[in-house]
Amino acid sequence: MKRWTTVLGRVGTVLITISLALLLVSLIPQLQLSSSKGSMPISPEHMQIAFNSQNLNPQQEVQVAVTVEGTLKVYLLEISIELQIVNGTFDYGFNSTDLHELVSDHPEQIIWEDPVENGNYKRSYSPTRVMNATVIFYNPSSSETARVEYDVALESSLAPGDKVRTIAYFAAPIGIILTIPWLLNSWKQRKQK
Amino acid sequence: MGKGKPFLEVLASAIHEDYRFPFLEVFAFLYALGTFVFASFGVSITTQSATSQSMATANEIIAYGAVSSILSIPLFIFIILVFKNIAYGLGSDLEKGIIQTYFSYPLRRRGILTAKLLSALGVALLLFLGIQISALYILAPDIILPQLGTVLLTYAANLSYPFLIAGIMLLLTLKLRRGGIGLVVGIVLYFAMSMASGIATVFAIFTKTPLSLQILSAISPSIILQQYYVGSLGDFWAPAFSELLLYTGVSYVIVAFVFVLGYTYFSRRLNL
Repeated sequence: MKRWTTVLGRVGTVLITISLALLLVSLIPQLQLSSSKGSMPISPEHMQIAFNSQNLNPQQEVQVAVTVEGTLKVYLLEISIELQIVNGTFDYGFNSTDLHELVSDHPEQIIWEDPVENGNYKRSYSPTRVMNATVIFYNPSSSETARVEYDVALESSLAPGDKVRTIAYFAAPIGIILTIPWLLNSWKQRKQK
Repeated sequence: MGKGKPFLEVLASAIHEDYRFPFLEVFAFLYALGTFVFASFGVSITTQSATSQSMATANEIIAYGAVSSILSIPLFIFIILVFKNIAYGLGSDLEKGIIQTYFSYPLRRRGILTAKLLSALGVALLLFLGIQISALYILAPDIILPQLGTVLLTYAANLSYPFLIAGIMLLLTLKLRRGGIGLVVGIVLYFAMSMASGIATVFAIFTKTPLSLQILSAISPSIILQQYYVGSLGDFWAPAFSELLLYTGVSYVIVAFVFVLGYTYFSRRLNL
């Protein structure tokens, strides 16, 4: 019995130290790698590419904040779009027709498809593997031009903060519960000596 | 009394000695922190598959890269713990005559050594792999689960050489009946490998033959593993997956041979 108390107590102290390490990791602030801000009108049934990455990894997070006057669909797609020279200027070789084709033929590549109407929108995404990612603003209206104010940022962190913090919040109390009998036992032994 | 109880007694005593409070906790903290701090997924899917000499898929390369990144300093911390347990733990037990006390237990000598090694190596490895693989799973479940084979192979290849040094240290500690010299030899051997691998790489690049790297891979298969997944040493050597498995297997046969020597010496030649 006493040996099991010691074993469980030490498992508890290990859980507590791991929780402390996780909390420490979650407290390390994020580093902003890139940011793109601005405002623009998007014509009816037209789209605009706001962010494009070929290797978004689990230690990175895309944060999208949008204020819209009109109607807008915010897409996060698992595709990579390369810049091409079109009529002497750099442009993405991807248009609304391609977007419609992708949405209907490859729905598995859609991570978000969020409609926004006359309001604010904020969402972030951190992948669980290395992947391509593209944020697209699409105006689905057939008559009204949407006015968009956007802020798309790419941030880097050691680990997904919320996930790590949640694990630490669960592991620490379990660790404390397992440790208490062992600590009491040790204290009683010292008192006897 | 069966053989199980004395074995557990020796194991419990060894664990108590090897992981006195707060050793286990400090190492657990360092493994957890080190894994997140050194983890890196900084590879591009397109560039990896385009430029690499390797025959591995892009996802396998990413999994290999992630595991390699978290193995850097945490592996060194693991090695320190194992070296301390074998050289200092077993060495001081031999010096203080604690091993002689164990010999009075109704337990074979190889059982005593197994209990000591389970504590010194087994518990340390369990803690190290448990924390690292869990941390990797928290970070990138969609990389780790589908590529579990690559993850385990990377660990196996990288741990082979530390195990070999641990075996050599065990032999030295048993022969000299003290741990100090074994510990120094172990640390020297650990750093000697990085120098030897540098020299072998230069030799291979200049002669355009991978012979020196192949010889070294037999005791440290992390070299062939790196060439298989990244192909950074040059295009003169493109090892196949079966070759990688063969070298990893050979390295573990060598490790097993050194430990068998240790067991034989402990069982038959160690006169206390």
